[in-house]
Amino acid sequence: MKRVVGFPILLFILFFFFTSAAYGQVQTRLRIIRASNVGSNVDPTLRDVQKELGSLFSFTSYRLLRDETFHLSPNQPSLISAWEGRITIQTTLVGLHKGVAELKIRVIRQGNDILNTQVRISPGRTVLIGGPRLRDGGVIIYALAANF
Amino acid sequence: MKDPCSSVSKLLEKYFDREATEREKSFVERHLPGCPACQDALKRMERFGDLMKVPMEEAVQEDDFEQVWHRVHRKIRLKESTWWESLQPWFHLPHLLQKRVLIPAMATIAILIFFSTSLLLKKTPFYPELSVVEYVESQDYNVMVYESEKPKVTVIWLFEEPEEGEFS
Repeated sequence: MKRVVGFPILLFILFFFFTSAAYGQVQTRLRIIRASNVGSNVDPTLRDVQKELGSLFSFTSYRLLRDETFHLSPNQPSLISAWEGRITIQTTLVGLHKGVAELKIRVIRQGNDILNTQVRISPGRTVLIGGPRLRDGGVIIYALAANF
Repeated sequence: MKDPCSSVSKLLEKYFDREATEREKSFVERHLPGCPACQDALKRMERFGDLMKVPMEEAVQEDDFEQVWHRVHRKIRLKESTWWESLQPWFHLPHLLQKRVLIPAMATIAILIFFSTSLLLKKTPFYPELSVVEYVESQDYNVMVYESEKPKVTVIWLFEEPEEGEFS
């Protein structure tokens, strides 16, 4: 009797294990970069996106301020703050299809939305969100990539 | 004087089962030719043996002694079995083919296939490899969107004026 019950339980465990991919989480990497024309340093941890940054922007210096990897679950917002909480980026997984994750992104400064967007992102693709300008002429760039 | 028949009758069963010693065996064999009663008793035993032989063989063929032994072996094992060893009987083929396991297993598999296929065959929209900006909005600033295939980058650029002393 024990085995009769045990075998279907094992099958159900396998079923939920395999179907979890369909409703699974999305591993997301968010890097907050400060780009400026002061100096010519590129943070060693940005080597993988240095080429992209160089081909798209005319800044000479890229400094990594924050590097976060987190798992997004459907409809559960993830908040990451910078500059002592004065600016926050909220990322929410709103859809997950074969090879494509739909992410809703809000950039919030002091309680006000300064940018709202929704993107469909595939693994290997980076979404760069150029944010607020800095006093020294630099800008903040969010580099968002998903892996699933 | 001791009756030889009563002595032999005690040994006759051992003799029939081939469990008698050489001495007992020669004693019975010496007695048998001259004793019809003991001969009859031995014949009855042989007939009874023949009667039991076929059903016993059938029973042996039908019963899964390997499985029985596995259960016995499991009981007498001194050491704790590993999780893998405890799973092995589930995958034992003769056991899996038994009706009480096969029917629930097949029902479960059918349910799994039903749900899996409905999940797999669910129409998923096709998206190109490009990341697509579905919408972008900013109440106070202009926004530019740029899509690049090489490198695989999407840029959303917010045109914002610098704010004195805010982020420096």
